[in-house]
Amino acid sequence: MPDIAFLALSGLVIVSAIFALEAKELIYGAVGLAFSLIGVAGLFILLGAEYLAMFQISVYVGAVVVLILFTIMLVRRESGRIVEEEEPGRLGRAGILVAGLIALAVSGAIVLLVPISPEAPEFYGVPLPELGRDLASSYAVPLVILGLVIGATVVGGLTLAKVEREKKPNGTTQ
Amino acid sequence: MEPLSSYIILSAALLGIGIYGLVSKRNAIRLLFSVELIVNAANINFVAFARYSNPPMLAGWNIVFFSIAAAAMEATVGLALILVAFRLNGTIDVRKLNRLRG
Repeated sequence: MPDIAFLALSGLVIVSAIFALEAKELIYGAVGLAFSLIGVAGLFILLGAEYLAMFQISVYVGAVVVLILFTIMLVRRESGRIVEEEEPGRLGRAGILVAGLIALAVSGAIVLLVPISPEAPEFYGVPLPELGRDLASSYAVPLVILGLVIGATVVGGLTLAKVEREKKPNGTTQ
Repeated sequence: MEPLSSYIILSAALLGIGIYGLVSKRNAIRLLFSVELIVNAANINFVAFARYSNPPMLAGWNIVFFSIAAAAMEATVGLALILVAFRLNGTIDVRKLNRLRG
C-alpha cells in the first residue's frame, strides 16, 4: 500500500516542476522550482538521508533559486519587460511527445526488467561520523578539487558578469 | 516503505518534464530550470539506489553531495552567461541568440 507521504511529496515535485516550466511569469516559475526542490528534499528525508535534505534546501533553495530570482530581476529591470512567452505550438507538442516517450521507455524498462522490487534493508539514518570520516579520507581529493572548482566558478562568474565602465547608456557594450 | 520502482518512475517523470522544457522552451532561464530538474531526477535515483542496496551504500549519498555542489556551480556560471548574453543582445530568447550560426 502506497505511503501517503511519498504520494504527497511526489505530487508536489511533479506539479510544481510543471508549474515552473509553464507559469506565465518567470518569477512564479522560479518559486515553483523552489517548491519542486523542497519536495525532492522531502523525498531524501523519506529515504533516510536527512543531511542531504538539509544540504539540498540550503544550497538549492537558499542559493540557486535566490540567484535565479536576482538574475530574473536584473534581466527584467534592464529590458522593461521579459522575453517571450508565446511558445511555438509545434515545438511544444514535439517536446511533450519526446519527453513522454522517454519517461515511458524508462519506466517500462524498469517495470519489465525489475519485476521484484528489492526490500529496503533495516536502516536507522545515516551514520554521520562514518560519513565525515569517509569524506575526509576516501573522498579527500574530490573534496579539495570541489573547493578549487567552486573558487574558479566564483571568479569566472564575477568576470563574466562584470560591467564595463565605458558602456553606452542604453546598456549595450558594442 | 515504497518499492524501489516507484522512486525510479518518479525520477523518470521528472526527467521527462525536464527534457520537455529543454526541447520546447525559448527562455534561457527556463532552460536552466529544466537542467536543474534533470539533475534532481538523477539525484533521486542515486539516493534511492543507495538506500535500497543491502547494506545501504554511503557512496550514493556522497555522490549526491558532490552532485548538488556541482549543480550549484553550473547554475552560477549559467546565470552569468545569461546576463552577458542579455547585455550583448538585449534578449535571452535562445531562438534569437544565433549570431554564431554559420
